[in-house]
Amino acid sequence: MLEPVMFTGGLYKHDLVIELVEDLGGYVLQKNVTQSEVILLILIPSEDKPVLESQIKELRGELVRAPLAGTEVAVVTPTLAIHHLPHTACDIAEYLRRHGSKTNMIGLARGVGQEIAQINEYETSLINEHDAAVFIFGNFKECIRRKESLYRNINVPVVVTGGPEIAKAEMPYAFEYVSSVGRVAHRARKATEIGVLDRIVDAVGRALDKTRAEMAKDPLTTSPPRVMDAVREQVPDVEFSYSPLPIALNLNGLRVKLPYDSYKDAVRAVAFDEGVKLGEIATVRPSRMKDYILVRILPASETGFVF
Amino acid sequence: MDPMEVFKIEVTGQEDFGKKKYRELIMDILQDLGLIRSIGRLYVYIDVMEPIFAVFGLLRSGIPPLTVKDVGDVMKVEGGYQIKINDEEHMADLLRVLWDRYGRERVEQPVRGVVIIASDTDPSGLMVADLEAEFLQDLTDGLIRVAPEGFRNRRNEMTKDSFFFIAAEETLTPELIAKTKEKVREMENA
Repeated sequence: MLEPVMFTGGLYKHDLVIELVEDLGGYVLQKNVTQSEVILLILIPSEDKPVLESQIKELRGELVRAPLAGTEVAVVTPTLAIHHLPHTACDIAEYLRRHGSKTNMIGLARGVGQEIAQINEYETSLINEHDAAVFIFGNFKECIRRKESLYRNINVPVVVTGGPEIAKAEMPYAFEYVSSVGRVAHRARKATEIGVLDRIVDAVGRALDKTRAEMAKDPLTTSPPRVMDAVREQVPDVEFSYSPLPIALNLNGLRVKLPYDSYKDAVRAVAFDEGVKLGEIATVRPSRMKDYILVRILPASETGFVF
Repeated sequence: MDPMEVFKIEVTGQEDFGKKKYRELIMDILQDLGLIRSIGRLYVYIDVMEPIFAVFGLLRSGIPPLTVKDVGDVMKVEGGYQIKINDEEHMADLLRVLWDRYGRERVEQPVRGVVIIASDTDPSGLMVADLEAEFLQDLTDGLIRVAPEGFRNRRNEMTKDSFFFIAAEETLTPELIAKTKEKVREMENA
């Protein structure tokens, strides 16, 4: 069982951590260097965690659990106008990032209003490429209830946030509803406000656990981090992508940030030690995000084997 | 504590949370834009079912326009007048006004904070900026920010000492406006 953790520490000798993780059979998902500090998102076999902990203690670094690592969460606001941004949306997105998730902020084109709120096919399928979505709504019960049409057709679990208390039974299409957020014109700074952000992270964690439990019934042919490692090794151009995270992981696949037309064959041809190619165990198709490549790993029931 | 004399907010239906939050939100936004001191009374009426958002406010006494002597010290010098700028915020407005009044060739700026005018007319009384007009612009901006974003049909009536702002999703009919004004008047008299 791989455990998601986050390492924060000095740049000096941090490559020892990376080497150790690779030797233990773990994966480095993301590396962020900010001046003399480095943040690593790591998947490590849980039985080897003490070894990593002692190494990090020696380097005077910090190791915390990052429950959302290796997942991608969409933070959706009705539009990108000043009414919804920056305060609530950025606070939530930033807080999810601190817990290890890759967070994308999505502003709908016409998500505002009670009767005029709408979402189009492109927005829906873009949100469906994520592992979970957080919808940020306002302060009035009636408005939140009427905005249900925005997330009714979304296949991934949706955590809805808003101001007032609303019984879960009134929102059948939401995975969970987190109250006390709503529309505010200042940043979250009080303890109660930070507490609400924790509740959102917990709700997203539960949503992802539900997806994981569903996937465990029909496991993927191979794990996304393993595919990521293989793509990184065999399609070296991906390291030259201008994105801060050239390969974004999902629970059921990954997104390779290279142009689809020029690199789809290279990605399909990525080979594993077991003798199979990526094209045989996964679908490789264009992502709705820019012209990236979306890889979805097929479950064991379709390929007939797991490695 | 409210800096305003009266700040009433009324929301239809079971929306106590929204009422409380909109109070905070309006305060935050007006404070951000530095408008709160100029508003004496504020009445906010929100009908969630319709839906309508209306604000009626009474303004505190007018703000005098900013003149040249407010932004700098005017001194008589040989061959004209010298203005030593104290408040650089309105520098661009000041230069524009002086150019319009005296012509570019008569206005000289030897250093950053000094302007010399080659003329015998005293510039002290010239108006640099109409602060009241700026305030009204900021107020309109603030009201649009406060109103829920989906409410795209807006109407703003401003007079010297009051303003009435209404926003809705549906078309604003004269009857709707009259009905809302009546509601606000009720709040005022309550």
